[in-house]
Amino acid sequence: MAFDEKENKPKTSLGRLSRRSFLSQAGAMTAAAAVAPLASSPSPAQTAKADATPAFPGTVSVTLRVNGESHAIQIDPRATLLDTLRETIHLTGTKKGCDHGQCGACTVHVNGRRINSCLALAAMQQNAEITTIEGLGGPGKLHPMQDAFVEHDGFQCGYCTSGQIMSAVAMVKEPWGKTDGDVREAMSGNICRCGAYPNIVAAVQAVRRMS
Amino acid sequence: MELFQLVTAQTISDAIQAQARSATAQNGADVRFIAGGTNLVDYMKLNVERPRQLVDINGLPLDKVEKTAEGGLRIGALARNADVAQDAIVKESYAVLSEALLSGASPQLRNMATTAGNLLQKTRCVYYRDTASACNKRQAGSGCSAIGGYNRMLAILGTSDHCIATNPSDQNVALTALEAVIHIEGRNGQRSVPISEFYLLPGSTPERETVLQPGDLITHITLPAPVAGAKSAYLKLRDRASYEFALASAAIVMKQDGERIRYVRVAMGGVGTRPWRAVEAEKMLLGKAATAENFRAAADAALHGARPQSQNGFKVELAKRCLTHAMRQVSQIA
Amino acid sequence: MDQISESKIIGVATRRVDGPLKVSGAAMYASDHHFPGLLFAWPVCATIAKGSISSLDTAEAEKMTGVVAVYHRTNIGPLYRVPPASGFSLILDEKRPPLEDDEIRYYGQYVAVVVANTVEQARAAAESVKVTYNREKPDADSKLRGSPLTTEKPEEKSKRGDTAAALRSAKVKVDSIYTIPAETHNPIELHASVAVYDGQKFTLYETSQAVVNHRDVLAQMLGVPPEQVQVITRFLGSGFGGKLWPWPQSALAAACARNLRRPVKLVVSRQMMFQSVGHRPAIEQRIQLAADLDGRLTAIEQEYVNHTSMLDDYDEGCGEITPFIYSTPNLLVTGGLARRNVGNPTAMRGPGAVPGLFALESAMDELAVSLKMDPVQLRLKNEPEIDESLKIPFSSRHMKECLTTGAERFGWANRTAEVGSMKRDGLTLGWGVAACAWLAARTETEASVELKQDGTARVACGTQDIGGGTYTVLAQIVSHETGIPVGKIDVVLGDSALPSGPISGGSWVTASVTPAVLEAARNAGQRLLLTAVKSENSPFKGRKPGELEFVGGMVRLKGQAQSAVPMAEVLRIAKINSVAGTGKSAGTLGAAKPEFSFHSYGAQFAEVTWQPEIARLRVNRVVTVIDAGRIMNPRPARNQIEGAVVMGIGMALFEETMYDRRSGAPVNNNLADYVMAVNADTPQIDVAFLDYPDYKLNALGVRGVGEIGLAGIAAAITSAVYHATGIRVRDLPVRIEDLLAMPRSDSAD
Repeated sequence: MAFDEKENKPKTSLGRLSRRSFLSQAGAMTAAAAVAPLASSPSPAQTAKADATPAFPGTVSVTLRVNGESHAIQIDPRATLLDTLRETIHLTGTKKGCDHGQCGACTVHVNGRRINSCLALAAMQQNAEITTIEGLGGPGKLHPMQDAFVEHDGFQCGYCTSGQIMSAVAMVKEPWGKTDGDVREAMSGNICRCGAYPNIVAAVQAVRRMS
Repeated sequence: MELFQLVTAQTISDAIQAQARSATAQNGADVRFIAGGTNLVDYMKLNVERPRQLVDINGLPLDKVEKTAEGGLRIGALARNADVAQDAIVKESYAVLSEALLSGASPQLRNMATTAGNLLQKTRCVYYRDTASACNKRQAGSGCSAIGGYNRMLAILGTSDHCIATNPSDQNVALTALEAVIHIEGRNGQRSVPISEFYLLPGSTPERETVLQPGDLITHITLPAPVAGAKSAYLKLRDRASYEFALASAAIVMKQDGERIRYVRVAMGGVGTRPWRAVEAEKMLLGKAATAENFRAAADAALHGARPQSQNGFKVELAKRCLTHAMRQVSQIA
Repeated sequence: MDQISESKIIGVATRRVDGPLKVSGAAMYASDHHFPGLLFAWPVCATIAKGSISSLDTAEAEKMTGVVAVYHRTNIGPLYRVPPASGFSLILDEKRPPLEDDEIRYYGQYVAVVVANTVEQARAAAESVKVTYNREKPDADSKLRGSPLTTEKPEEKSKRGDTAAALRSAKVKVDSIYTIPAETHNPIELHASVAVYDGQKFTLYETSQAVVNHRDVLAQMLGVPPEQVQVITRFLGSGFGGKLWPWPQSALAAACARNLRRPVKLVVSRQMMFQSVGHRPAIEQRIQLAADLDGRLTAIEQEYVNHTSMLDDYDEGCGEITPFIYSTPNLLVTGGLARRNVGNPTAMRGPGAVPGLFALESAMDELAVSLKMDPVQLRLKNEPEIDESLKIPFSSRHMKECLTTGAERFGWANRTAEVGSMKRDGLTLGWGVAACAWLAARTETEASVELKQDGTARVACGTQDIGGGTYTVLAQIVSHETGIPVGKIDVVLGDSALPSGPISGGSWVTASVTPAVLEAARNAGQRLLLTAVKSENSPFKGRKPGELEFVGGMVRLKGQAQSAVPMAEVLRIAKINSVAGTGKSAGTLGAAKPEFSFHSYGAQFAEVTWQPEIARLRVNRVVTVIDAGRIMNPRPARNQIEGAVVMGIGMALFEETMYDRRSGAPVNNNLADYVMAVNADTPQIDVAFLDYPDYKLNALGVRGVGEIGLAGIAAAITSAVYHATGIRVRDLPVRIEDLLAMPRSDSAD
């Protein structure tokens, strides 16, 4: 794997790497099922490289549907959905805060429901519709919940924010009561160390009043 | 995390055969079923669980919640905690279960976690989580770091000199009060185990936590028909207001006839090495008047055998207050 | 100093300019950076707290799939120590470079690092490195007073009068000991380093609250000139002090990138966040107060001891606020450090002041109880005229108004003093109050402003936005000075290649950047006027620059609106892309003879609810009144105070890093066992700013609000707890077992 010094700089100062730059690297890879049906002769994940054209030794091929697009990718069989989104698909809006389901920063939607992507194995999500913060809306075209978070200053450092917003969008569709107290409980799976909780509640309630 | 093979079970019997290759279904199993993954992946990352094979059972048709012919409820092993909590029948007739589920973990985790996965939830003892520490449950015979260590969160009932780890589940406390039956399919066919017989006390073998044998797959649980006229409630006490395990919790199902208590089931969480059924408290209350004094006396009886550690002595009093208050919630005191 | 009192943008609630990036996942935090050929590093952490490595076997790890390298003491290559710090340069807490020797001094100390193709491979291989140790019994004792100190006796930090005599003759006394456990910052963003090395230059994407210092430190450690290191932190997932100075993972990542000539990403785990990236130390304080019967203080004596690591001295400085907050003729503050086998402590939000005020303000509440005096009145009674420790005037102090305004907003007049006497909806209420203060300052700052032909401006400063709203603040300052709307101002921060900016610490950024950015904008404007009078075809050609002014984004003859030409047009005519100006301002810290005592002030009022029947205590309502000069942007300022209150609830009721005394390990090393406030813990919070500009600090009169909100809140809560329950908790956090009046054991033993 030659090290390309020309590529050795960030693409933009603030924005993330474009998806296209990633696909050009991954496009040549062959997608193959990493998950063996039980009927077939089981082969350890280490040897799955024989079935695919792995980017690295020890990786396997999976296909994930994220934000409406299919990604045929090579991942470590142990990779969580979180690490796969971040390190392989380069959708880095989803954040790692604890890696153990204890903070909510990694919240994404799988088939419309909010989950902790740090506790989901990527290889088990191959038939699922995954939505990340990038799928909700970009900086130039914000989802109403994203806009409400800006308007109500529902964050400080912004690191837990993707998870907060994914949780908030999901909770609006869940059976919760109308009060601020209900929102606080519904949003308690997302820790904000900056403590922007009052503004998060305000943003969620503003969106709920709209809809 | 060590490498593992991930396979998908298409049928229940495939799943059973796969897990039956494991030497054990307890701690140290080298084949594990995986559904929600909230507990298993957590522990695999810590190398506490090191299965060589994961059997993905999410495709099995075990996610229904439906009435039984006997008027009870059948909850599929794969029914998600969030769905069970919001199920209309559960909310109407088994409120204690809905309340317990909604008090546990976070909405995200409840969307992932399954009924059977929650039944098999591991303890939250910090030493169990840390492979650098001695822990008899994780590694039989290595010792217990929690005794004399950080044990504030740990058990005061059902402990042994080998292990004081708490069963951390809320769901299982409610299921204990509801006298759930756990239905298992294994190499030798189907069997059902009352929840009161499902969990083992740690004794000298804390690595064994349940009656499950290699190949055993929990397919569903059943709840008996609701007791007509009974009320139920779950009360959970903890440091912060949400997203935290219980320091003490209580699940109560109670029916009164006037002021007399005609039916009562009492279970506790956060204090026992397994979901703790307080039979002594039930005996004390049955036929008695629903009074604050009787409730407190029953709570005293429930904690009679408590054996606190260096940091969790307060749990005795906390659990008593929790029980007493939960009983008051479901009763009509004159 | 000049004063700017009128502004259409300063002091106006403004949407954050970086908000859309943050809410869409497009803001780039350190660990979000990716480069072709990127490798992942995972450190191997010591599983003992004291002893030495007897053997380190990497054979199995090296053979594992995907592993590229395993580094340890003998092959990591040169990592040098850093010369002593001066000012804000070359600061780091853990001065021993990682892997320097085989001695283990704290649990989790890095002993090796594995580099592999995937993060899963790196981690698994790191866990396969076999390390054996010569294990010794660590000292992780949480009892601090009475144990040996790093100095022969506690150091005298501040002294006036004769406290011993005053205490002896006092009519009323308080003598109490307060403890605060080690607290872990736990920003949700994990510390991370992405290191890129091209054979000559290091580009380091870091989680840093101080990119310029980080560059200088890493250049020293790597043994290269500073211009060969660039440190970038475009966005920081907060730090609370924990990301002020470099930690060992940064040097490890850079060394791996150097050795391999490949980009390397190292993200520490949450467990490591409890071990090797700093924490607020455990602190024990004894406070003695003496007062007359009318409540006038005659003596304050404060003695604190904080733990520090085996190699480095971290002084929490708990006497930060004590010498000037109240009037008293006799005062003594002493401090000492006790070594423990712990990772190095570091500044955590409101260092010194926050723990110091917990103790002092708790003691003030105890004094009020002893005097049977209202605790608000007691504080009003002891308001000083000047800073009695430095004998200089305050620049702008409105502590009394904080207290009286807060009392009014809270409804304090309805308080009945008797313990447990206040009830509502079947709950027992407790009300408590505390005063607070925090040092205000400017630090040396450089900035540049560029005015561009496309009608936009660019402002650049080597500081950081850690969540306080610095991106927006800089845009506001430039907008104020140039008339260019905030939306057309590109703010560039978080890069050590930019003009040297302030550390994001001490709540000093806003005060520090204000003069430098104003000056840079003015200088850019001057350059624009010069361009307007010099360029061919300019309508102002031949005029003198002094006849023109730059107002509302337009160049015009002074006072003549009809002559105005847009900035973009002036530059287009001149065929110039942009004109730039730089600004530089001096710091106030460390002045030999300060003229004024610069501080912010506040009052915290807390209501707790108490249900003894289930031992449930909740913070229900908080009123905070803050005197922090002019508030630049009320929206994020309020947010920061509210957030500090939330953190204060954690400090008061939940947070404690538990060290197992046997192993020295911080055992509750995760976010389930280290309990922080969640959304459901949020009380009703009322924040009020007094908004008295402090023009002695800078032209806009701004001070900063990052830490003051956390000061005093724990004492207000524990005082409320006393008022509700009659139980005085002097050892944080307040636990259910305290309220059940059960004995507790402080740490795992």
